[in-house]
Amino acid sequence: MKRTSLYGLSALLLIVHAGDFVLADEPEAKELNETAAESDGTTLFERQILPVLVNQCYECHSKDSETIEGGLELDSPAGMLRGGDSGAMFEAHHADKSELLRMLRHEEGVSGMPPEEKLSEEVIAAFEEWIRLGAPDSREDTGPTAKEQRLSEAEGHWAFQPPLPVEPPTVTDTDWARDPLIDNFVLARLEEAGLAPVSDANRLTLVRRVYFDLIGLPPSPEQVNAFVSDESPDAFEKLVDHLLDSPQFGERWGRHWLDVVRYAESSGMEFNFTYPHAWPYRDYVIDSLNADKPFDDFLREQIAGDLLPNEEGESPEVIEARNIAPSLLAFGPKRHNSSGTEFQIDIADDQIDVVFKSTQAMTVSCARCHDHKFDPIPQTDYYALAGIFLSTEPRYGTIKQKYSNTPTELLPIGEDAQAMHDAAEAHEKQITETEQSLASKKEEVTKAEEAEKLAMTAKTEAKELLAAITSRLEATAAEGEVSENDTTTTDTSDADAATALDQAVAKLTEATTLVTTLKDEVTKLETSVAELKESRPPRPQYAMTVRDREQPADTKLAIRGDFRNRGEVVPRGFLSAVHVPDAASVDPTHSGRLELANWIANPDNPLTARVMVNRIWHHLFGRGIVPTVDNFGMLGKSPTHPQLLDTLALRFIEEGWSVKRMVRAIVLSRAYQLSSRIDEKNMAVDPDNRLLWRATPRRLEAEAIRDATLTVSGQLELQRPTGSTVTALGDKLVRGIPTEKIQPPSQHRSVYLPVVRDYVPELFDLFDFPSPSLVTGQRVVTNVPSQALYLRNSEFVAEQSRHAAERLLASEDVSDDAGRVALAMQWALGRLPSDAESEAALQLIQQVQQAEVPEVKEAETSDEDPRIVNAWSAWFLTLFTTAEFRYLVDLGD
Amino acid sequence: MTNHSSEPTISRRGWLQAASCGLGSLTLTGLAPGGASAGLLSPQVAHYPAKAKRVIFLFMAGGPSQFESFDHKPALKAGGGKEGLKKGKLLAPLTEFAQHGESGMWVSDAFPHLAKQTDDLCLLNAVSAPSRAHPIAVPMMHTGEFQFVRPSLGSWVLYGLGTENQDLPGFFTIKPTRTFGGPANYGSAFLPSTYQATRLGWEGQPVKDATIGNLTPQHGLGADAARESLKLSQLMNKPLLNQTEEVRGVINSLELSDRMQSAVPQVLDLSTESQETLASYGIDQERTDDFGRQCLLARRLVESGVRFVEATSTGWDHHSNLDKFKDKAESIDKPIAALLADLKQRGLLDETLVLWTGEFGRTPETQVLEGKETIGRDHNAEGFTAWLAGGGVRSGLTHGMTDELGYKAVEGNVHLHDLHATMLHLLGLDHTKLTYRYGGRDFRLTNIHGEIVQEIVA
Repeated sequence: MKRTSLYGLSALLLIVHAGDFVLADEPEAKELNETAAESDGTTLFERQILPVLVNQCYECHSKDSETIEGGLELDSPAGMLRGGDSGAMFEAHHADKSELLRMLRHEEGVSGMPPEEKLSEEVIAAFEEWIRLGAPDSREDTGPTAKEQRLSEAEGHWAFQPPLPVEPPTVTDTDWARDPLIDNFVLARLEEAGLAPVSDANRLTLVRRVYFDLIGLPPSPEQVNAFVSDESPDAFEKLVDHLLDSPQFGERWGRHWLDVVRYAESSGMEFNFTYPHAWPYRDYVIDSLNADKPFDDFLREQIAGDLLPNEEGESPEVIEARNIAPSLLAFGPKRHNSSGTEFQIDIADDQIDVVFKSTQAMTVSCARCHDHKFDPIPQTDYYALAGIFLSTEPRYGTIKQKYSNTPTELLPIGEDAQAMHDAAEAHEKQITETEQSLASKKEEVTKAEEAEKLAMTAKTEAKELLAAITSRLEATAAEGEVSENDTTTTDTSDADAATALDQAVAKLTEATTLVTTLKDEVTKLETSVAELKESRPPRPQYAMTVRDREQPADTKLAIRGDFRNRGEVVPRGFLSAVHVPDAASVDPTHSGRLELANWIANPDNPLTARVMVNRIWHHLFGRGIVPTVDNFGMLGKSPTHPQLLDTLALRFIEEGWSVKRMVRAIVLSRAYQLSSRIDEKNMAVDPDNRLLWRATPRRLEAEAIRDATLTVSGQLELQRPTGSTVTALGDKLVRGIPTEKIQPPSQHRSVYLPVVRDYVPELFDLFDFPSPSLVTGQRVVTNVPSQALYLRNSEFVAEQSRHAAERLLASEDVSDDAGRVALAMQWALGRLPSDAESEAALQLIQQVQQAEVPEVKEAETSDEDPRIVNAWSAWFLTLFTTAEFRYLVDLGD
Repeated sequence: MTNHSSEPTISRRGWLQAASCGLGSLTLTGLAPGGASAGLLSPQVAHYPAKAKRVIFLFMAGGPSQFESFDHKPALKAGGGKEGLKKGKLLAPLTEFAQHGESGMWVSDAFPHLAKQTDDLCLLNAVSAPSRAHPIAVPMMHTGEFQFVRPSLGSWVLYGLGTENQDLPGFFTIKPTRTFGGPANYGSAFLPSTYQATRLGWEGQPVKDATIGNLTPQHGLGADAARESLKLSQLMNKPLLNQTEEVRGVINSLELSDRMQSAVPQVLDLSTESQETLASYGIDQERTDDFGRQCLLARRLVESGVRFVEATSTGWDHHSNLDKFKDKAESIDKPIAALLADLKQRGLLDETLVLWTGEFGRTPETQVLEGKETIGRDHNAEGFTAWLAGGGVRSGLTHGMTDELGYKAVEGNVHLHDLHATMLHLLGLDHTKLTYRYGGRDFRLTNIHGEIVQEIVA
């Protein structure tokens, strides 16, 4: 019976039939003790250890075993010493530290090996003795272990080889290409497969496609007409350049990057705290793309912007942007209720994950607990990187509150930010100090009041005593004698009593005065606290960022990912399988982040440029040349056009890592401009359109659907809002905030809606907006009824339909209903209706206009007859629910 | 770890195709990112024949005490007030136990109604979980993981089995909590979003007011106009099938939305139930009204072919107010008893797997809070009670034991991964084969754990 154990390492041994091998029997065991005492370890190994290994372990833990359980190979000295996926099992001479012995003993917390039956005590003792004697192994290593072999094969994986320039392929149809490189690579593959590309898309289709792809908005009828009627040969080129120059380009492409870096404005996880100061990063990304910042600089800034030296003549804004860029190392999902090493190490894990998936398409964080199962990423690589990130302090803000243990300082930004921040902090300090004085003053009042009470009592007593003496004296005077039992006169005379009373009165007065004085002071302090709170100086804006810790250090490997169980110290470094010839190694006096940034943003890094051009390609074709855009490892898919990928990567670097130039080149290629028409022959051979014989129809993203709806209704606000609605909410637990405050109505572009983890806007949630806790280069597409319900019934769509209807009715471009039907369709779908569509639409409009409507909503902004507005909003509602509204498809002329 | 989205391959379904011929209808071309299909929810053939076809998960958030409910501990009663093994003194159970039914199952007097149904219960007295902290334990119970967001039990079941009523979503959660993972506890993580639960209401909101978003049109155009609009939209959609099959997903979802618009309000409308039924669930009776409605909704949903329904009762975290345990128990006792009886009477219980559990149980000791002893118990995940009923479980069985004071499981331990594995097994799904490839790895509900508890399978 097979049993796969919890961790690779523990799956040491496996017995098929427990009886196959007879364990050391009695006489041998006795002999063993004698031998062990005098013999050297080698004899012990050969006599006692090796037979057990061969008979009990090799079945699962040798090069030839069917599955090498836990990556552990016990059939060679090298494999024996190296241990399994989670590292060495023993250290020669140190039997007390041995994981191996714990497992042989079936101790708690490890998986007992062999799993079926424990070895005899004598055999275990032999293992212990053998380790103590230095664990000598007389076998010879016969070539690399299976794991070493696998690793060296993995190192030969295409993605780790530098892209090399290749000759453009020869094609039969030499007239087809527009971009000689891109198009001929595409065509060559098609010709090879015996396929021919379909015809070019018509202009209506093309203009809509390129508007959505480049700026995420539909073209207006005027914009469509301008392009369609432009007969100059470079009409499309001009349009593309115009769109690349538009500020909406950065909003569209910035959002793509925000997916990849799992941008969000709260911490997520089980206690979800707001991150009110994440938004400057959002703006940084948008601005960087609009400015076409070289992509290598863009990456360098995001990993180590705080460490890059300022250059002469740089504006404060540029320097500030660079310091905002590393926000992506700070706004990741965090378990703020956690603290200490666990907290830091989880943050480092998230940072490794985001940096390596986004820039290298490598799942490095898989190597946290053991060597990567598939890629040549040993666990030591992970901890080499962990050292870099653990030497980095993330500055995410938050305040100390329940379930938030470790607040950090944010970066003040904007003009005079530091001075404003200092003033605000000084002011807060003053408030705290004044509150402290107030508290201690209040304590003094309490004490003084107690003293006053005591003084009051003392006075009362003194008064009573005097009264008693006086009355007794009067009585004595009257009776002329002193009672024998009366002792009051013995120690206190009336004079003394009177003095005591005077003193008591004086003390009381003093006490009362003190109380009054102190109370006055309390009042004054209260006033000044109130005044201070009223007069808080304005704070600057803030951003998240990181900085190096004061004492950067290498970190120890965590055995099986358990940070309490530390192994060897791993010097900081990068991925051992990715060779970047001239990259500088880590300067141990710094975190190493700058070196990491330069290692990644390096023309010789074989992954960086490929990964990015593939992302760009993915967004323009709906599928990457490497379809697994976030995984270029062994488990990722192979590129459909490897030489094209390399050529593009080299071109990207050559052209200064310009994202805009790469987008431009691809969009101007013929491959991009094809129709979506289905060709039956091609379809039979390549139904998934891997070879790009047509343009694949694509569903628009949630943001594009919303922005297009607002464009049609005329409600879209193109101005960028200042900050984020989350900023005003302050540092809070998200679940305590009413939903309408997290997501208030907005007419801004979707990229500016707050991204609060687990509380994204309803439309986003329904239309496959990716989880902002996960790195997502490729969104899923679903078509579920809740989307249909939203488009048909929601308040938002109903409202926008009405706005659109009012806008349509106010338009002076059309004068009759047929014209209105057509204009509405041009707004929504970018084309004119067919006769049948027009007729059906007119019928619908007429029907609604004449129907007895249960509730007629008052038109909000126009004087139109509400029935007419209703009728036209029914037409817009229809348009919004069509597949054509949310898909990029071929449009009929 | 590996949590980026790569192209998902549906390996269970792939496995199905490989394992049996003629299941071509399960081909899911166009499912991958860039593809979409409404066929994801079509009923699926299980890995092997099974009795249970659907699940009702009654989640007791906070961790109900086993000592006041189902784990009879005479030694604890006798030892009440003595020093415990940990920080506090032993706290004798605050309820009285008696044996019930033919099975002689021990049930406390906090559950007089449920006590009449012991012969339908399969009591698990030695359940364990990896953590006694709510933020870890709640996601663990729902998704088998806490470190990462993973698909929930219900979404795995829906992924594995599809759903029977194409007019309704296949997975509902009624009044879930917002805390301790919140939506992740009924989400689909990297599984297609089709498999996530449709939420009815939130914790704290009366279930009376709970409904699905956007069922009621806000356009004010009237039903006729809406239907005409849909017709026109579909007329425009059909020609696009010439360009992409994905449009079929759009067409289907529009159709389903139309059916849901009438089917969902119908299934949520309790007014068609008899006064007798309403009364049996404790509806319109102050203490039982809300959970009674949840239970009745659960029955109506599974009866309509919904695959997985979760109902949540909150307020079981009795650190210092265990004297209120009976009140809390009262709020669910009658409703759950009525649910079981109702399912049975309708012939549904055999095919419906009912699970009752918290995220953990409690300690035998008095909770010490700020140095003071209280009438309460702290969390305990090393041994607690859950029960199953219906589809394919051995009824009338009491399985597993904690030690005599109830600190931890000593016999018949059912780890939560085992519970998940067994539930999938009862539904005809092999937990080692129900996998989904994501980020280059095949994921499953039980990760690398889980053993089927054969003893509790009928």
